[in-house]
Amino acid sequence: MAEIQLRNVGKRWGDYVGVDNFDLTIADREFLVLLGPSGCGKTTTMRMIAGLEDATEGEIVIDGKVVNDLEPKERDVAMVFQSYALYPNKNVYENIRFPLKVRKVDPATHDARVRRASAMVELDDFLHRRPAELSGGQRQRVALARAIVREPNVFLMDEPLSNLDAKLRVSTRAQIKNLSHELAVTTIYVTHDQVEAMTLADRVVIMKQGVVQQVGTPVDIYDRPANAFVAGFIGNPAMNLIEGVVSGGTFRAERTEVAGLSAPQGAVTLGFRAEDAQVVDTGGQINAPIYTMELLGDSTMVSVRINGALVSVKADKTFRGRIGDPVSIAVPAAQCHLFSAISGERIHA
Amino acid sequence: MATASETRMTPAKAVSFSLVGLWLFIAAFPFLWTFWGSFKVQADFFSKADWTNALWGTQTIAETGSAFTGQGYFGAWVIEAFWQNVINSGIVVVFTVIISLTFGTLGGYALARSGFRYAFWLLIAALVFRAMPHITLVSGYLLPFFEWNIWGHLPTTIIVLVAINQPFTLWMLHSFFLNIPKDMDESAMVDGCTRFQAFRHVIVPVMWPGVITTGLFSFLLAYNDFTVTAMLLSAENETMIPAINSFLGTTQVEGKVMYAVAAVVSATAPLFVLILFFQRQIVSGLTAGAVKG
Repeated sequence: MAEIQLRNVGKRWGDYVGVDNFDLTIADREFLVLLGPSGCGKTTTMRMIAGLEDATEGEIVIDGKVVNDLEPKERDVAMVFQSYALYPNKNVYENIRFPLKVRKVDPATHDARVRRASAMVELDDFLHRRPAELSGGQRQRVALARAIVREPNVFLMDEPLSNLDAKLRVSTRAQIKNLSHELAVTTIYVTHDQVEAMTLADRVVIMKQGVVQQVGTPVDIYDRPANAFVAGFIGNPAMNLIEGVVSGGTFRAERTEVAGLSAPQGAVTLGFRAEDAQVVDTGGQINAPIYTMELLGDSTMVSVRINGALVSVKADKTFRGRIGDPVSIAVPAAQCHLFSAISGERIHA
Repeated sequence: MATASETRMTPAKAVSFSLVGLWLFIAAFPFLWTFWGSFKVQADFFSKADWTNALWGTQTIAETGSAFTGQGYFGAWVIEAFWQNVINSGIVVVFTVIISLTFGTLGGYALARSGFRYAFWLLIAALVFRAMPHITLVSGYLLPFFEWNIWGHLPTTIIVLVAINQPFTLWMLHSFFLNIPKDMDESAMVDGCTRFQAFRHVIVPVMWPGVITTGLFSFLLAYNDFTVTAMLLSAENETMIPAINSFLGTTQVEGKVMYAVAAVVSATAPLFVLILFFQRQIVSGLTAGAVKG
């Protein structure tokens, strides 16, 4: 059982704000993903929970106990590092066993626990190899096994998949999801890859420049982004964002006119997802020449340029057009998101 | 498999091979010459009449009845008790290396992991001290050493040698530690180590090539030192190098020079063995910083 509370936690280096006023309760057994571009403070937040970095403000509470002044080893957390940080002079078996050894766990239980952990990540056949003799994926699994062998209260994972190739990433991602379900341990996972965040998380925290932008389930964040940054960060492709002006319930921008919106007068950013719009013969809300076309197999991505920004629409996979051909795009008003042009915050209809 | 173009002898290759051969000869000659000459008598090795006497041992045959003699070695080791100097050197070297490495690893680790700016300035200060001539330390301390009545003893010399050597060991070990990712300590600390346990169980085992290389350089400094040991040690506590010097300094008596030659060969032999024994570690240590594993 481990509930983690971050009470207004902050990290400053002089004038530089690494993490600002992070306030969140992470439920027991929750899989929480910290997501954001590099330098957004997500890793710093995790390192503060691990005790590798001191919080300059606020309190970190694990299992009802304030841990700010505790050493990493006293916090009962396990961490998987981006570089794996395996011990190169020890073989796989000794690497996995190390946490048991230094924590003086009853030596009689070591062998069984190491073997159980290594079986969970399918490393049984490699126990006598050194890390240098393993592939990237195998090293990653040693790091995982070393983290789970102790059955800690909290799992911390710092971009564990970013050093793997694309194919291995998908299978290891599935393995991590399965493992966290099986072990039922509170997990905090840091990534800059929104696909990992969407697939793994119970809840996602999106950060930018040290500030939390939105906390919510993957569906929440995808369907109701709290601001233009989240909208432009989540989804593949990210949400289309067009800057323009609303007057009388109609949004106008270059080559664009969307009517039937319930928003006050003024400058706004209009957002919609590529799959929510359709390419039509005539009478669409956007009429522009095709800028580029990408065949994706199951669909065709058609892009036009509005105000210099790329606007993409998913068309049928049989759709064909030439670059420069005029195209008409239907954007249903009900599927549109409006954000304030000044603050970027969502305008609630 | 060597291809035809690799085995064919071109003029350029012939020139480069002969240059390497010439260099080898020039580099090795003094050692071979001394080694050969150490088995002759002084009248041959320092012959005024004909230098080839040193090669054939004309006088050696005349004096001892054989082309080779162990007189020099007998004189140095038995008559002049050179073994005492060897033991002194051993004590000085062992303690200098152990103390330098202890402070060097702890200090180098601390400096490598410290995020503070003063770490940089400490290292710069160390570099300045390293650049100073050794004699500056000795001359400055001579008077206090006399006053405190600690002049002439081995521990005093060891302390001064450590002081001279420490900046270098700090620098060298510091850069070795910088090459070990911080993740490794942090991982060990999350796994349940204290900072010191992480250092001992995780970092030091990875560091062995660096420690051995640094230790070897410390060894060489202490082993070969003349300035400090000649100034600070009394005659009965002399290490090998000043002892050899004093053999040379008494040329009025015939035979003493040959003691020096024999002692030089005796002092050099262990170095060859040491370098050959540790060459793998030295090379991996010297290049560890250059290439990322």
